[in-house]
Parts: sequence; structure tokens; C-alpha cells
Amino acid sequence: MARANKKRSLIEFKGTTLPVVSVTLHSLQPAALTKAATELFGDDAFFDGDAAVLELDAIEDGDADWAALRALFGTHGLTVIGVRGGPETLRTSAATAGLPSFAAFKRAARASEDAVPPAPVHAEPVQAPPVQAEPAPTPAPPPPIVKTVSVPTLVIDRPLRSGQQAYARGGDLVVLAAVNAGAEVIADGSIHIYAPLRGRALAGASGSTEARIFTTRFEPELVSIAGVYRTFEAGVPERLAGRPTQIRLAGGAEGASSLVIEALSTD
Amino acid sequence: MTRIVVVTSGKGGVGKTTTSASFSSGLALRGFKTAVIDFDVGLRNLDLIMGCERRVVYDLINVINGEATLSQALIKDKHCGNDNLYVLPASQTRDKDALTEEGVEKVLKELEHMGFDYIVCDSPAGIEHGAIMALTFADEALIVTNPEVSSVRDSDRILGIIQAKSRRAIAGGEPVKEHLLITRYSPKRVEDGEMLSYKDIHEILRVKIIGVVPESELVLQSSNQGAPAIHLKGSDVSDAYFDIVDRFLGKEDKPLRFVDYEKPGLLKRIFGGK
Repeated sequence: MARANKKRSLIEFKGTTLPVVSVTLHSLQPAALTKAATELFGDDAFFDGDAAVLELDAIEDGDADWAALRALFGTHGLTVIGVRGGPETLRTSAATAGLPSFAAFKRAARASEDAVPPAPVHAEPVQAPPVQAEPAPTPAPPPPIVKTVSVPTLVIDRPLRSGQQAYARGGDLVVLAAVNAGAEVIADGSIHIYAPLRGRALAGASGSTEARIFTTRFEPELVSIAGVYRTFEAGVPERLAGRPTQIRLAGGAEGASSLVIEALSTD
Repeated sequence: MTRIVVVTSGKGGVGKTTTSASFSSGLALRGFKTAVIDFDVGLRNLDLIMGCERRVVYDLINVINGEATLSQALIKDKHCGNDNLYVLPASQTRDKDALTEEGVEKVLKELEHMGFDYIVCDSPAGIEHGAIMALTFADEALIVTNPEVSSVRDSDRILGIIQAKSRRAIAGGEPVKEHLLITRYSPKRVEDGEMLSYKDIHEILRVKIIGVVPESELVLQSSNQGAPAIHLKGSDVSDAYFDIVDRFLGKEDKPLRFVDYEKPGLLKRIFGGK
């Protein structure tokens, strides 16, 4: 596409997700941190100029010498680009020092790892004593200071043919033409196909059990959500074949282990 | 402006070379200066179908390697009755790695300078180097498909490869124009449910159908005789290929023929006429 569009604007805007090293700090004392870092990496630049975000959730309060922290991680090859979590005062002082706060980003998948307490706790959030809400950061989280970076939906408007693959990393995938047998569509989020699905569709590829697959014509080889898959060796069930269909995991986030494939009414 | 047309399919034995021969002959008969190149290095066939195998001296690889000039290697076709059609045969002895992208580009450029209107590239089967080279420089593609699931899937695959690997795809801009050409079609077997219908195939591949060539014994006969089937005037195969050439040249509204099954009449059943 590069050379064809002669009238291309000089600036283009696109959303993207970038790999960032997350550094969780348990102390803000420059001396102690320097010592710990030297023990880990020696004197040389261990990282290769990677971007890093400082995680402040483990810090109770106090203030930090942000310039010193930056310099410290800089010697080990990390470029600190911002902070995340922790007390508001700390985030404000970081922002003054030129380090923006990134919104706390906890997905269902992550919550299922550390938040074992069963569902009932969530049932009555109204007036519940704040102590109980263990996984949430200290007070009710203030509106995020920086705008949340949302992953753009990947839209494909040509047929996906046998041997072709499309992957919507971190987000949803919308396909406006047929996904043919032997083709594969993958998304970390949900997959919407406004055409026949004849190939493979894998939603929730990085573990999101909330992901779903939709198609206006269900004739697939394989469907999968968060690793739970189904093939159709004996053919697609007659009540669904060729019809608008939704595929989701039963039971939602926890203990979801069986695929539900149901006809969509599109009236 | 020279247009380069690749005839390809993915699957073997579906009628690529038969189509290349008849299609290029049809373009020549319609008055266009046409070259047809066999890209199947090591399995040279086009010269046989075109009936010029005894006149092959130099081949595509010789030209690429500079061992012969293009005009030495081009064989003038004798069937069309005019000087419009030339065959560039493949090498039977060389390794297919001799087919380099730079070399192919050089040959195509030279043909363009020689004033050819159309260059038809007869692709080998498969999705290997030779097939990729045949489609790399294409402006248009004839996708030859049989009414059979494996052929349809392989056509689907090769369409994807055209969309990914052709120069037009890589450079962006206008993509390769795709045409679906169904061969060995038997309306009776479709009617009996033994064969995919042309509508089914179109439904899967979603590429505009440029023509349907009926299954016919004449194709085998004409191949063995070394005269492209389009020269069998009055036969259904010849009519089908002429329709295809005309649609390709812009008469897109020509209705599809040879797709409906007509029950043989009483006389035909009694006398078994064909």
C-alpha cells in the first residue's frame, strides 16, 4: 500500500499496543534500590533500551526522587516512560516529574489468578465495607488521568482464503467477507464474521473466556474460545448449519469449560 | 500497454495448459499479438499441446541465462493462420531454480518492447517457485478450477497467494484482476448431484466466472494431435473458449453457456447421437 497513495498525509494516527517492561517497586529509597539493581544486573545495561513502567501498587506512601529513579534504571538499559497504580499523591508527583500514569489494567483473566474469593462477594457491592474489597487498589480508583489506550478493532474486508491467517492482537476482529475452509481467524477478543465462516475461528486466544464468535453463516472447521475448541467431524449440526450463529463459553469467567453454540435470531 | 495474464490453479491436471493454449490462440485469432510462456521448468508440456515440440531449439531458461535471444527462442504458432501467436517453451532439462525473478522480469520487459499485447503465463501446478514466478508479474489471473472440492480449495489457496505475493499486491494500488474459469464441467453430473455446480464454486471462491468449459472427449484428442481445442470450430469446447476470450476482451454480458443439462430427446435416445 505504501507507494500507491500519493496524497498521504504527513501525520497518521493509529492505536497500537507496545511491549513494555513492568517493574514492581517495593521501596522508593534510591540507595536500597541501587544496591538491589546492582545485585541483579551488575554494572552493565542488562536491558536494551526497553520501555518500562514502574508499578507502585506495593508502595504505601512517601515520595520519590523520580529523576534518580530514571537515572538508576537508565544505567541498566531501561527507559522509564511512566508509572502505574499506587497512592494518588505519588502518581501526581510522578506526573509533575514528567512520568504519566497509566490506567490500572486488570482483565478478567488476570483477576482469576489472584482473586480466588468466590463470587458471592461481588453480589452485593452496595455499602459493603471497603476492607472486603481486597483486589481493588486502595480507595475507589479515581478517573484515570491519562486516556485509556484501547486496542483498535481489526477489520478485514476481503475474503480470507485457504492458507491465510488473520490475528487481531489484543482486540476484536471483524471480517466482512468469507473465511474459507483452510483459513484461520484469531483474536484476543471476540470475532465477528458478517459472511460465511468455513475455516477456523479462535477467539479469546490469550485466555479471555468472555470472548465470543459471531457469524452470519455457520459452516466452520473448528471454533475455539480461550482454548476450548470443537471440531465438526460429523458435520455441523443441522439446526445451525448455514445459519447466523453465536459461540460462547458457558458459565462466564470461572469454571467455563463448555462451548455453547446457538443460533442467533437476526430479526 | 502489454497485459500479463497468468493461468493458474494450484492443483494439477485441471486444464491449465489446455486453457493457456486455447486462450492465447483465441486472443491471437481476435487480432492481438500474444506470447504464451511455459513456466513448468522440467515438465515441458505446452509445446506438445500447441504442436510445436519439434521446433523447440531454445527455451525460457536459455533466454534468462543469455544463451539465446528472445527472438531465437520464440516459436511462431502455425495454427492461427496469422503471425500473432508465439510460444516460449520451458526447459526440459534445467533445474527450476534457474528461473529467477530478475530473469523473468527481464524476459517480460523485452516482450513488452517487442510490442506484444498479451503475455499468457502457463503456471505449473503447486505453490512452489515456478508457480510463484508465473504469477508474480501478472496483471490478470485466470483461475482454472474443476467442479470438485479439492480443486476448489487449491484455487482458494492460489488466490490467497496472488493476493500476497504478486507484484501488484506488494506494491499496493490496483490488485490483480481475478477470473474464475471452470473446466471439465458436466451439467448432467451436476444435475445428478455428483458434481459441484458453478454456482456452488462461485459461492465458495467469490470470484467472477469468466466461463465454463464443458467436459469433452475432444480436449484429449486435440491435445494428442497438438492443436489447441479452440480450433475445433463448432464444437462446444471451442465455443466455450471463444466466449471466454470475448468476455476477457470486454464483452462481459455474454451469457454463460454449457451449464444447463438438456435431457436427450427421443430420437437422440434411439439413435444414440452425440
